[in-house]
Amino acid sequence: MPLEHVVRTALGLKVAGWRSRGPGPAVVCVHGAGVSSRELLPFVRALGATHDAWSIDLPGFGRSEKPPRPLTLAALADAVAGWLAGSGLERPCVLGGSFGCQVAVDMAARHPGSVASLVLVGPTVDARARTPARVVGQWLRNSVRESPRMAPLNVADYLDAGPRRVLAGFGASMRDRIEDKLPHVDVPALVVRGGKDRMVSQSWAEEVTRLLPRGRLVVMDGLPHMVPYRDPGGLAREVTAFLKEVTA
Amino acid sequence: MRAGRAVASFDSATGMLRALSRFLHDKDVPLLGQAPAALEAPISALAGGAARLPRALKERAYALSGWAEAVPARRVPEIRSEELAGWVSGHYPRRPSPVAFVGSSNGALVHLAAALGVPWLPQTLLLPVRRHGVSPDDPRGDLAVTRPAGEALLAANPDLVLHHMHDANQDRLMIAGMTYFRVKWRRLAAAYRRFLEETLPRGATLVVVDCGLRRPVTRVGPRYLFQHGALGGATPEEYEHGGPRVAAYLRRYGSDRRAWDYPPADGESPEAEWGFEPELLGDLTDLARRNGWRLARLRFEEPEDLSPVVADLYRSWYARRGLPGDRLLVECFLLLEPWWTLRSGSVPYWMVFNAEQSRRRALSYLDGVEAFDEIRLMLFSHGVESVGLASVADWRELLGRARKVGVFTGVDTGTYPRDFAGLIRARRELARIRTTYPMPLPLEWPVAEEFLAKREEIDWHPGE
Repeated sequence: MPLEHVVRTALGLKVAGWRSRGPGPAVVCVHGAGVSSRELLPFVRALGATHDAWSIDLPGFGRSEKPPRPLTLAALADAVAGWLAGSGLERPCVLGGSFGCQVAVDMAARHPGSVASLVLVGPTVDARARTPARVVGQWLRNSVRESPRMAPLNVADYLDAGPRRVLAGFGASMRDRIEDKLPHVDVPALVVRGGKDRMVSQSWAEEVTRLLPRGRLVVMDGLPHMVPYRDPGGLAREVTAFLKEVTA
Repeated sequence: MRAGRAVASFDSATGMLRALSRFLHDKDVPLLGQAPAALEAPISALAGGAARLPRALKERAYALSGWAEAVPARRVPEIRSEELAGWVSGHYPRRPSPVAFVGSSNGALVHLAAALGVPWLPQTLLLPVRRHGVSPDDPRGDLAVTRPAGEALLAANPDLVLHHMHDANQDRLMIAGMTYFRVKWRRLAAAYRRFLEETLPRGATLVVVDCGLRRPVTRVGPRYLFQHGALGGATPEEYEHGGPRVAAYLRRYGSDRRAWDYPPADGESPEAEWGFEPELLGDLTDLARRNGWRLARLRFEEPEDLSPVVADLYRSWYARRGLPGDRLLVECFLLLEPWWTLRSGSVPYWMVFNAEQSRRRALSYLDGVEAFDEIRLMLFSHGVESVGLASVADWRELLGRARKVGVFTGVDTGTYPRDFAGLIRARRELARIRTTYPMPLPLEWPVAEEFLAKREEIDWHPGE
């Protein structure tokens, strides 16, 4: 089934979104730093079989409107909250991938009541590895396990956003102290880690889960950082099982 | 022959001895305590690579590792029980202690002793002996070939009982080139006596750890027993008479047999690995009386009876210290980490091995207690798709009982149960847990004793 392309305005900016309309409750996906919905679309298609699955491009990235200056993390979170408020979706689940987790957590902590649950896939950035050199090292070690077909999508995303916004995204991700916000997320949250993710260590994924008052960890064996691109069907099954448990 | 060379390193008794003695020296157990900690990363990487070898090669490597650490049969008569006892007691620091344990091997007991900061002296050790030309599925052949070595061992060591043991199910790879001689002290060795006299002041308590597990045996001589199989996935009846699971297992391993042919059992005896041989009680009673110690007895029917008791003891201890006690560490066989258990604030639950019956008991423990936020599971990887082995999927059910984090620790789910590196990875992964707690002062013995006395799973005889 083809995806619906929907453009909506949030905080005065045009935000591009894609939708695969399934029967279950809505899940809205938020992408990582510098990239866009492109890498999440296979997952949106897979999840669309059971849920009303969405992915949106953060302002400044992908097909969304570009504000004159790159938005801060809090502004990105506010934009997502604004988008949700205008969407008519009833307290959806928000799924973040990588840096998208930081946006989702900031939003859930600062806009309580905006979401029913969170899914954090590969939450960055490990508090003990928050230096540019370590993050680049981890990114390189992880990239050998990612699908080679994802590389052209990444390049397209970086070209869409431009170097200034890509760097600003990475900067925002490095400055964010996500660990201080996690205890304030009062909704059920599923943390997903690829078993071979070199950017998100097992101990960090456990710590993230521990800090979330209602967290739960799932490790998907053998997968790298970009779980949604590498195993969209497997992740859709995990998310479906989690949402079934949450709504039960 | 050097005692350390004669004793098997990859065995319950020695694994537990290393874990506890290292704990009493304030150390954890990298590389199972077998090599310098600095080698952990490279050895782990090597073993992880080896786990990706083809199955046949890995099985050979398991068999070879068993053979390599076994003693040549001709050298068995050189083994002296007194030297073995000295080697064991030499592991421990010498310092006064309000209590000491002696007797059955038990992983939960290791945690009890660690909590108290006190030693445990094993009654049983494993002496692996090399043997050629006998198939693992031929117990009679094994007995015929290695009996002279067993008799020579007993002639040289009148204080030992030999439990010659043959487990064609779980030890399939290890017994390809060796046989298992488990020896139990029926008299107290002088080195044990000296150690206890140096450690226990007048008024202290000596606790006999008395596991009542028994098994069918063939009596070969007055102190020579041949045990059919071992505790684990297969039942005693399956070892004796076979059955569909045994037939399927033998077919899986390309054997032309459909059941094992053990010599007829003519009695029962304390189980070779876990059971307590009561003849030792005489010497222990005399020694306690002479030194003014109280001789108490911790009696239980099966090894895992003690596991929920010690788990609950730890949980109540954490609660008194104001710690959450919401982490469970499920340990398996000789994979024990008492030091990291306490530093991570984990409740230890020990399983005797990796078979389905241990999984069921662990699940029933979880049924009866408040849920844990975190459950970590270590699994011993013995290389064999043995009868009664619980699968990775089965274990996931147990991990699913965790409220937040239910994870395998050190287990490569893709290569289990043929995963050498698991033995090494477990400690590394434990050591990476964030949010740790300071090492507590030892638990007071009267508190622990009061707790033990109340539990129905065990018989606590306080003695006089």
